[in-house]
Amino acid sequence: MSEANVQSLNVDDAAPDYEAPEPITSPIVPTEMDLARELEELERTWKRPGGVVGWIIDTDHKAIALRYIVTAFIFFLFGGIEAALMRLQLARPENHFLGPDLYNQIFTVHGTTMMFLFAVPIMTALGIYLVPLMLGTRDVAFPRLNAYGYFVYLIGGILLYVAFLMNTGPDAGWFSYVPLSGPAYSPGKRVDIWAQMITFTEISALCGAIVVIGTVFKMRAPGMSLHRLPLFVWAQLVTSFMIIFAMPAVMLASSFLASDRLVDTHIFNPAEGGDAILYQHMFWFFGHPEVYIIFIPALGFISSIVVTFARRQIVGYTAMVLSLAATAFLGFGLWVHHMFATPLPQMGQSFFTGASMMIAIPSGVQIFCWIATLWSGKLNVKAPLLFVLGFFAIFILGGLTGVMLASVPLDLQIHDTFFVVAHLHYVLIGGSVFPLFGAFYHWFPKWTGRLLNERLGRLNFWLMFIGFNLVFFPMHQLGLHGMPRRVYTYLPETGWGTLNLVASIGALVLATGVLVFIVNVFWSRRAGAVAGPDPWGGDTLEWSIASPPPDFNFFNIPTVQGRYAMWSMTETTPIIRGLSTHKRETLVTSVLDAEPELRFEIPGPSAWPFLLALATAETFIVGIFTPWAFPVGAVLAAAVFTAWFFGDPNYENKTEKDEQRSEAPAPPAGLQPENA
Amino acid sequence: MSARPIIDVSKLPHHGFNTLDPVWWGNNFLLAIETTMFVICIATYYYLRQNFPLWPPPLAQLTAPLNPLPELGVATANTILLVASCIPMIVADLAARRGNRGATKIALLVCLACAAVAVTLRSFEFGAVKFRWDSNAYGSIVWFILGLHMLHLVTLTCETVLLTVWAFVREFDMKHRVDITALAVYWYWVVGIWLLLYGVVYFTPRA
Repeated sequence: MSEANVQSLNVDDAAPDYEAPEPITSPIVPTEMDLARELEELERTWKRPGGVVGWIIDTDHKAIALRYIVTAFIFFLFGGIEAALMRLQLARPENHFLGPDLYNQIFTVHGTTMMFLFAVPIMTALGIYLVPLMLGTRDVAFPRLNAYGYFVYLIGGILLYVAFLMNTGPDAGWFSYVPLSGPAYSPGKRVDIWAQMITFTEISALCGAIVVIGTVFKMRAPGMSLHRLPLFVWAQLVTSFMIIFAMPAVMLASSFLASDRLVDTHIFNPAEGGDAILYQHMFWFFGHPEVYIIFIPALGFISSIVVTFARRQIVGYTAMVLSLAATAFLGFGLWVHHMFATPLPQMGQSFFTGASMMIAIPSGVQIFCWIATLWSGKLNVKAPLLFVLGFFAIFILGGLTGVMLASVPLDLQIHDTFFVVAHLHYVLIGGSVFPLFGAFYHWFPKWTGRLLNERLGRLNFWLMFIGFNLVFFPMHQLGLHGMPRRVYTYLPETGWGTLNLVASIGALVLATGVLVFIVNVFWSRRAGAVAGPDPWGGDTLEWSIASPPPDFNFFNIPTVQGRYAMWSMTETTPIIRGLSTHKRETLVTSVLDAEPELRFEIPGPSAWPFLLALATAETFIVGIFTPWAFPVGAVLAAAVFTAWFFGDPNYENKTEKDEQRSEAPAPPAGLQPENA
Repeated sequence: MSARPIIDVSKLPHHGFNTLDPVWWGNNFLLAIETTMFVICIATYYYLRQNFPLWPPPLAQLTAPLNPLPELGVATANTILLVASCIPMIVADLAARRGNRGATKIALLVCLACAAVAVTLRSFEFGAVKFRWDSNAYGSIVWFILGLHMLHLVTLTCETVLLTVWAFVREFDMKHRVDITALAVYWYWVVGIWLLLYGVVYFTPRA
């Protein structure tokens, strides 16, 4: 095989300084028979375990991600039901459908569910599913850490809901400010449940972040240097870094809160030198980046959808990437704008006002880039694009009220009113949930092999769009009229009745929209149009493989010759050969230029992540009742780790032993007998 | 399909040190998380200090030593020990890279001895603080910082035990040699972050 047959990867747009990875040796051209055998071996090697035990030990990133998505969506429905209950209660003045105590629990559980059990996990979940596929690799870098993260998250969610059904649901708001949530004003176990649920979900988010970063850094297909990374992956990467630096703050805050409540420390207790405002700082140092942790992945969905449905390259790739990074940095400088109503130095407040207004700049840059892309593209207006267009309308309104709230005098007037409720829902539902539904319509065919129904999709969009605005637009007005948030009822004389009724009717419309989506999913899974590998003409590598993807993702690891991997792929785009088909091997490449470095064996199915999650659960759940849970949990975890380290039948350093057996990856063509 | 040009990777190695290894990256990002934790702990420490006219506050009971400052003795001994323990860890690190099993085993044993002593000394440091965790906010945050770092010392010790046992009873294979170098990074981090915490906890009150 001559040099001429081996293509240079450096064919396109990006970076003249980029050195193409050199082919390592001259390859052996495989025959049809070889390929059939390899396929069979790959299928056997990567086969996912079945049954109940299989569910526990499976580590396939697609399976874990779909689980995350389904679980998070179920929590979304729970949160939605709670929202509907609140709207029912507020539909008319002096309603007694829900009492004040239950109402407190419901709005707390609603907020907690939507933020911690729905928004963050589902955004990461799409990344866990799609990032390895977009990068052209066979699994995430740390599949077992990934599985552990899921189980921990699931346990945290179950903890919250079991407690809620036992009338022990947290009731101090989704941010559980001290002193209200402290031992003096919230006796009982309600807030402890909240604090430990935070710990579970944050552990899970941190695991997800490390999984995503590790995968993006080390598992990209050769040729996919950083400046060719799809914007979706950039968004996931930036989000993961934000998680790493934001989540520890809330884990510490909730740990301090739990220890104040359980073992009498005084971190937040002013009587003993502690500080209640400190809690707000710690919470919002996480809480504001949290908004961006939810929002930035959605920007990635939008970029993918816009590029695909405008059928052209994105306008201003570099500006888009820099905007993502700028948003992430600025996102850490905004937290105090949630605390303008606390006694902070005015100079400090001004700084945070400035930063809060500044963040409109990178958001604006991205929106203009998308508009330019759409404007100059050949639009293919399908459901995913509709949701993106809906995002523009809603999110820009939310952004405008955000700029208003960034100003201290206005904020002081409408702090803790329904204006803030309207703002945050415009930003979060507009900024994240609409793109998320767009993403569902976009990638559902990849997950299931069938397209969602387009007409139901349009119905779904319009119901959600109209319903959403009906619910939340009147809330601006209610807030300006002085209606405080988190009250379970109001008097007829306030004159808030009509707008509240409109909002409640809107909630019904919105809920119908979600119902249409669910019907669409169930109908389309059975009877939807068969999608094929690439129903939309997408630009990223997940569209190069079957829908749903095989367990091993890529038969041959692909190489990439441009930013738009699919669109720049030709007959002469090289493929990677020489990875083992007997073990779960994938290619590890260099961080910047994605040059091949290692044939890396990825761990396979295992029960240890599940057992470790159980040990974690023991520690934090029993920890609500006795501190002895912590040493016990430590011993359990140590036992699991030891067993994991020494006793793993699937992944016990087989690499070097296998070396001799399967060193020659593709034996001389055709000479290999059929595998028995 | 078989007409496509091919890049053959069958001669690539399975394992590599440092940036080559995904586990090295995962390990470092875990440490980034923990560093953030400690930075926020330190921020909390200084935030709470604003609430106290005297830091640490005067002792509540007029018992024998009236000085509320945390005692330096045990902590300083422990700090010296921890810094010194980096030497055998560097030896283990380098020996693992070279593939020298004997040197790795001995160095890891020395490290383990250091870790055991460090954990023991740490348990005496809590007493040297002179406040309990439930005395006041000062006591709470200092116990938190010491406790969180002790947790890392214990985790580090356990991890070292696992890798040492592996080096003795199982193969001295590339995968676990790479693991030992990742362990070394963790070790240096635990010591490094302690120097910062030692300065904060023991010298802020004396400043």
